[in-house]
Amino acid sequence: MDLCLTVNGQPISLAEVPGEASLLEVLRGRLGLLGTKEGCGVGECGACTVLLDGRALNSCLTAAWQAAGRQVTTIEGLAQGGHLHPLQRAFVETGAVQCGFCTPGMILAAWDLLQRNDHPSDQEIKQALAGNLCRCTGYHDILRAVRRAARWLREGAP
Amino acid sequence: MSLGRSMIRVGAEERVRGRTIFGYDLERPGDLHLAAVRADQAPARILAIDPGPALALPGVLRVFTAADIPGENRLGIIASTRDHEFLAQELVRQEGQAVAVVAARTLAQAQAGARAVVVRYQPLPGVFDPAQALREGAPLVHPERPGGNLLHERRILRGDAEAALRDSAVVVEATYTTSPLEHCALELEGGRAEYVDGRVVVAACTQNPHYDRQDLSRFLGVEPERVRVIQAETGGGFGGKLDLSLQPFLALAAWHLKRPVCMRYTREESFRATSKRHPLVMHFITGADEQGRLTGLQARILCDTGAFASYGLAVNMRAAVHASGPYLVPHLDVVSRAAYTNNPFTGAMRGFGVPQIALAHEGQMDALALALGRDPLDLRLQNALRNGQATGTGQVLRSGVGLARCLERLRPIYRRWQARAASGEDFREGVGLAAMFYGIGNTGVSNPSTAQLEWGADGRVTLFTGAAEIGQGSDTVLRQLAATRLGIPVEEIDLCRGDTDRTTNAGATSASRQTYISGNAVLAAADNLEMQLVQAARQMLGQHHLELELRGGRLAALDGRRLEPAQVARYLAGQGQRARGAGRFDPNFSGLDPDTGQGRPYAAYAFAAQCAWVRVDTDSGLVRVKEVAAAHDVGRAINPRGVMGQICGGVAMGLGMALMEQFRFGQTDNLHRYHIPTFLDAPRITPLIVEEAEETGPYGAKGVGEPALIPTAPAVAAAVGRAVGRPLRHLPISLERVMAALTHEEAEHAN
Ligand code: FES
Ligand code: FES
Repeated sequence: MDLCLTVNGQPISLAEVPGEASLLEVLRGRLGLLGTKEGCGVGECGACTVLLDGRALNSCLTAAWQAAGRQVTTIEGLAQGGHLHPLQRAFVETGAVQCGFCTPGMILAAWDLLQRNDHPSDQEIKQALAGNLCRCTGYHDILRAVRRAARWLREGAP
Repeated sequence: MSLGRSMIRVGAEERVRGRTIFGYDLERPGDLHLAAVRADQAPARILAIDPGPALALPGVLRVFTAADIPGENRLGIIASTRDHEFLAQELVRQEGQAVAVVAARTLAQAQAGARAVVVRYQPLPGVFDPAQALREGAPLVHPERPGGNLLHERRILRGDAEAALRDSAVVVEATYTTSPLEHCALELEGGRAEYVDGRVVVAACTQNPHYDRQDLSRFLGVEPERVRVIQAETGGGFGGKLDLSLQPFLALAAWHLKRPVCMRYTREESFRATSKRHPLVMHFITGADEQGRLTGLQARILCDTGAFASYGLAVNMRAAVHASGPYLVPHLDVVSRAAYTNNPFTGAMRGFGVPQIALAHEGQMDALALALGRDPLDLRLQNALRNGQATGTGQVLRSGVGLARCLERLRPIYRRWQARAASGEDFREGVGLAAMFYGIGNTGVSNPSTAQLEWGADGRVTLFTGAAEIGQGSDTVLRQLAATRLGIPVEEIDLCRGDTDRTTNAGATSASRQTYISGNAVLAAADNLEMQLVQAARQMLGQHHLELELRGGRLAALDGRRLEPAQVARYLAGQGQRARGAGRFDPNFSGLDPDTGQGRPYAAYAFAAQCAWVRVDTDSGLVRVKEVAAAHDVGRAINPRGVMGQICGGVAMGLGMALMEQFRFGQTDNLHRYHIPTFLDAPRITPLIVEEAEETGPYGAKGVGEPALIPTAPAVAAAVGRAVGRPLRHLPISLERVMAALTHEEAEHAN
């Protein structure tokens, strides 16, 4: 099947996308967007999180055709004109990135949260990111990063 | 100066932009794909492998079996116990062992091919319990091996433990057990290989590129020069990427097909095919006198090493050496044995047996405190090792013993939590404490690291290191150390890491050794570079006795003259030479006496203590860890933010070990059934850095990677024990175990 969608602001059309292909396979395999990670392929780790029309979801569980005609944002699309998004900057500065494999999915899941709730409590952050596993950080610095980014987004980054 | 300042980690910005290419991401268009055929039963004899049905499928090019291996099939990090057959030759020793590898044009075709290969097996009697494995007449896991199923035995004998226990005022005795665990690095194993000019080039995630090259050249039966290994960016390891995983398959296929190949494990395959944490059974008898001073310890330890040795010998050694904990224990009788079984092989996992043994030595401290009517913190403080005292192997520690300081840092927090821990209708709270020590580097063997630093004619400095960065932060710390010694900003140092063509051996990223050992190697390289610059500068100036030294990134002469190192580098370049310094460091150790285990197994030790505050739901048995405070003596925190990150990550992993993780083959081989801590499980963590300088460390530093995890599970176990009113001695502390403890059922079942 042919598939037309918008990825990181760019309209894209792809020919011969198998009906059973996941959005993750298309992003990584056809578009070479390797920033979207695969940690399980079955919806258990959150490493493959992308935004579909601004909502975070596991791209490994999403059929590619479900993205037809819609907006997909991957980690590569978050920085604007070379400037890191406040979430990206906060992750860097707080030490929320260790091996970095969970990072793209974690940031996009947090982006979704902050879009809906610009002043989340710690419990709300934890709940929103509960589907994103990290084996390195113990989540401690990720929590700090999301708090900091929320503050920057509300009050303007310094 | 960057030392001791929190640094932004090297590579963090690329990671948040999604630009970092990990081993798992290395596939390129046109690559062939590999998939392994894995045994679905064990032990068994392979009667026949029929690749025919696979070869008949579209896209399948080749099916490799053990017969295609040009060199040695038996690999392994420890030379005396190399036994891992990467493709089963005749016997399958564990379920999940690879039997064949299929190469095809696409991943789906390779996987279909792997399913189509027909393997006929003859089932054999197996052994799945390490105690049974050591009995007379047990089926042998490696029948050709002289030692039977006993992989290794280590004794630590000191004084007269029997007499000491007989004369003790109190003696406590208990058995502790732990479960096999999976590392669950978020990045699955992945890599790619090419055949270039008669050489095989393998890029993959790994914790030890130079070892990989050695074993791959052995596997292919070629000189090491014909294999190049490049450490791909590695998304976590925790010991799970120390053994070779898919690299032999990649190398084999590239060697035969002379085409680029790639391979990735699925999560299920990673669970089934890679090493696990050793489950231990630990029987401890510990004594103390009336004043609470430890008198003696008798310990019997049994480790299940599974079907292959992997790091089993190292785990067994470490368990024995650390059995007495971070305390002064004058009389010791410790015997630790590791046995082969047909279970999935166990190997290195963050802490190498010490997280397991800490459950026992800390459980015993709490039991003694109870028996003596003493406070757990005070009893530990009373017995804590101090500078100038000897460990259980008779090693006198001259400096760097920071346990008492860790305990003092925790004291106010511990007391506050004790006062606040509450109980109600349907919940009870408890606070627990645990301590540990951990020897930095490999046990009682040489384990050097090497590094080079080059001052370029363009003024930039490049650090060459074989030390694998796996997320723990060595790229950052090693650059900080080099920058500090050379007196230049850390930003002026470039890094060349983990490529066997361009760097030299730094040993494994394991045993919390890279800061201490590779850090010292980097400092030695800096000193060597300075010497070369000074000599070249004298030549250049024609003044052979000029006093010069490197200060603030410049060569300064006593007469006030200043010289840019880049100038000197250009001068050297003009003569066809480079300003390049080389360094090497091997910790000062001595091997352990074969009979008594006495000796100097490590040059430096890290110390730590943690306390945990838990809430137990008395209706369900659910345990929630509310807070953990973790005080770690790291000698010197080169990058404090990195140290705190390691501590918090270690605590979370320790919490998984304490409460939820248990690997069962075929039952918990996915993240749905095997639970690791999520954001909702994470407690509030207070990391506390203690700096008791180790005089042989780089600027006093030791290490923290593994210590971070070690006290957590025993601290959580103690807290739960406090809450429910009886000790928890078996991990994980599942709902069933908590309920059994709450209802005072006798059975707190062992593993
Ligand atoms: S890869 Fe999609 S949730 Fe793990
Ligand atoms: S940083 Fe490694 S998994 Fe999160």
